[in-house]
Amino acid sequence: MSGVRSFVARRLLLGAAQTVAVVLLVFALTEALPGDAAVALAGDQPDPARVAAIREAMNLDQPAWQRLADWAAGLPHGDLGTSLVSGRPVSQYIADGFAPTLLLAALTVALLVPVGFGLGVLAARHEGRLADRLISSVTLAVYAVPEFALGILLVTVLAIQLGWLPPTAVGYGADLLGHPAALVLPVLVLLARPVCSLVRLVRAGMIDALASPYVAQARRYGVPRARLRYAHALPNALAPAAQQLARTVDWLLSGVIVVEALFVIPGLGTVLLNAIAERDVPVVQGLAVVFGALTVVLNLGADLVALRLAPRTGVAA
Amino acid sequence: MNHTCGTPMDPVAEIRGLRVEIGGRSIVDGVSLKALPGKVTALVGASGSGKTTTGLALLGEYPPGAHVSGDVRLAAQGLAGYIPQHPASVLNPARRIAALLTDIARSQVRRLPRGERRAAARERVLHALAEAQLPDAETLLRRYPHQLSGGQQQRVVLAQALLLGARVIVADEPTTGQDALTKRRIVDHLAAVAARGIAVVLLSHDLDVVRALADEVHVMRAGRVVESGPAARVWLAPRHEWTRKLLSDQPRRSEPDGPAGTGQPVLRVRDLTARHRDGDRRTAEVLHTPELDLYPGECLAVVGRSGSGKTTLGRCLAGLHRDHDGRILLDSTPLPRSLRNRSRSQLAAVQYVFQDVRAAFDGHRPVLHQVARTATRLHGTDERAAVTEALTTLDSLGLPEDLVRGRPGRLSGGELQRAALARALLARPRVLICDEITSGLDTVTRRDILGIVTSLLHDRGDLSLVLITHDLDTAALAHRIAVFDAGELVEQGPARSVLTEPSHPFTISLLETTARLEAGVAE
Repeated sequence: MSGVRSFVARRLLLGAAQTVAVVLLVFALTEALPGDAAVALAGDQPDPARVAAIREAMNLDQPAWQRLADWAAGLPHGDLGTSLVSGRPVSQYIADGFAPTLLLAALTVALLVPVGFGLGVLAARHEGRLADRLISSVTLAVYAVPEFALGILLVTVLAIQLGWLPPTAVGYGADLLGHPAALVLPVLVLLARPVCSLVRLVRAGMIDALASPYVAQARRYGVPRARLRYAHALPNALAPAAQQLARTVDWLLSGVIVVEALFVIPGLGTVLLNAIAERDVPVVQGLAVVFGALTVVLNLGADLVALRLAPRTGVAA
Repeated sequence: MNHTCGTPMDPVAEIRGLRVEIGGRSIVDGVSLKALPGKVTALVGASGSGKTTTGLALLGEYPPGAHVSGDVRLAAQGLAGYIPQHPASVLNPARRIAALLTDIARSQVRRLPRGERRAAARERVLHALAEAQLPDAETLLRRYPHQLSGGQQQRVVLAQALLLGARVIVADEPTTGQDALTKRRIVDHLAAVAARGIAVVLLSHDLDVVRALADEVHVMRAGRVVESGPAARVWLAPRHEWTRKLLSDQPRRSEPDGPAGTGQPVLRVRDLTARHRDGDRRTAEVLHTPELDLYPGECLAVVGRSGSGKTTLGRCLAGLHRDHDGRILLDSTPLPRSLRNRSRSQLAAVQYVFQDVRAAFDGHRPVLHQVARTATRLHGTDERAAVTEALTTLDSLGLPEDLVRGRPGRLSGGELQRAALARALLARPRVLICDEITSGLDTVTRRDILGIVTSLLHDRGDLSLVLITHDLDTAALAHRIAVFDAGELVEQGPARSVLTEPSHPFTISLLETTARLEAGVAE
């Protein structure tokens, strides 16, 4: 299908342009912030001469466009630049932060997909009955609670009062897999809202599909119930859910700042937060490039999945 | 066609004394019928007469919350198939044709050893496709339903029923809203199905199709069968008054009186080329009209098959389709392409009545308000005067006040279509575009609406009508006819000469097919 191929090519080009725009925007916004890395490094009582010296050493006295151009020149070689604060390559920051974030995201998605689709289908099967009302009302209630509130609540009850789980990942460093108990609470908090939105989307899609004339026709012609549900109705319910899932994965991989900060996990969110506090522009830009590329690729993947599930919609960019 | 000769056959499906009630109101009351193998049993009646409820009862399906009594019996292993009005609606958009058919075949090959099932199911699928006259099965099986033409979709639905081994097939309004050539094809298919010894139950208000196919006719009204018998007898000697009324609706090719088409044209179309965008990649030219004029007081019929571009023409005139080149002149002033750029008087001058009348009304507001709103919006009439004017207009179209004070849900399709006409008339239009306004209606209601349209031409001297239709009998009401095929204006001229001495081959084939349908020939 050449139509799909050219669609992918166009979307990737468009995505590259979008990523460039994001980087420019991020650069402009960090420039607009008062203070820079030199001020941040100089400490609490900055001596203007010292700040000026640091600025010169870090090439911060050059015009903004030149600094941006120098940084951009390294990109084609895979060089995301060097941190102003520590002098380490930005790629190393990202590599360090990526492992914990990826671990959390993978665990969350591994639970999210079966639970979300399973509960959604279950609710649709029992539409209007007890199971459906229970699932619908609980998901709505949980969805209404923001991550930080839920996180603090879970930490207070499960970690501090009951003492079942460690409250944070402090002291475990990047070796989170060695301490699975520390992962339970963050994954629960990350899971809470995406599961709810996914369940509700799948439920609504399934109810629509099960009431459609094509499912009625299949039922009439003796297609078994389970097949009706999973082969006929579910694919039609999945297309919107797939897009929602892509947004969730994107949100998870970009380091969920609130959750990482709450549980002190050294993931990408924490890296980003620190870099902004230190005005470490190359690190922020490097992260912007990575997040931008991730978003583009994930959404493209979701669109391709949706196209497979709902071929009638065709491709539109 | 002939009816039972000598030995009586055993019916494959039989309904005895069926009564379906919802909330104490009976939709079907005491209906009995037999479906005989190889015979076509037609249920005829206006919309809402209980045809569909009766037909679905054969499939064991009833409306939700219905209280059912009576007896529905199918012969041993009597499997029933269903062909709906819109074949696309019963084909799952997310599954390939192969999957849709194999699902039905799969349950039939369960007794075979595991290894042979797949091949056996495939063989059955290919056989059913061949029986449904679908060539090139290999390619077809890989396609999704939306990649097929309407005719192919219909045959796939037929193949499903044949694959199932249906002994009786219920066809629900299979020809409603179709043009003459498509109707002809559907009639042939159903005749071929009956010739296989399958009982066909035809639910229709399309008398041409019923005449062409039916062996037995049951005429329904308000949930009851008012008359039934062999088709020939019912046709030649109807006993019930309602049947006579239904049948008397034979096309009267009445000539519109008085010459029209004098003076300056009210609307002129020059070098119109309209396109549709397909995603953002391709544009397809769907309409090409070098020159078309509409004179004051004239009725112009725009005729063509579905997809011929006739609706696009109407939409261009009304400013609903922006993507076109060329000029549309109202009294020699060019009309802006988009509705948004037209002035109020330009908006009022060109009014549009839509095919899907339910979708054209807001279901939550009283009909009267929606009709009166036109006068307020386009002529700045104050609200009380607008309501009075709306009531007068609605009353003149036969809609009493207590009815129109309700919401659209309370009105029948025909009544709502009259309200839509009233709404357009309140704009005091110069040009009224009627887009297939009768195609979803039964014959009696259609006659009413067409009567109103004709009287509008008499009563409102300078009102010009654009009658978009696929139905040549409707087109015969017009002064002039423009025939479209595949987006091209292929012929235009006075109605009488187009209908009696067509010059373009497409017009000729359209007329011939209609004539054959009316003669009731189904070989």
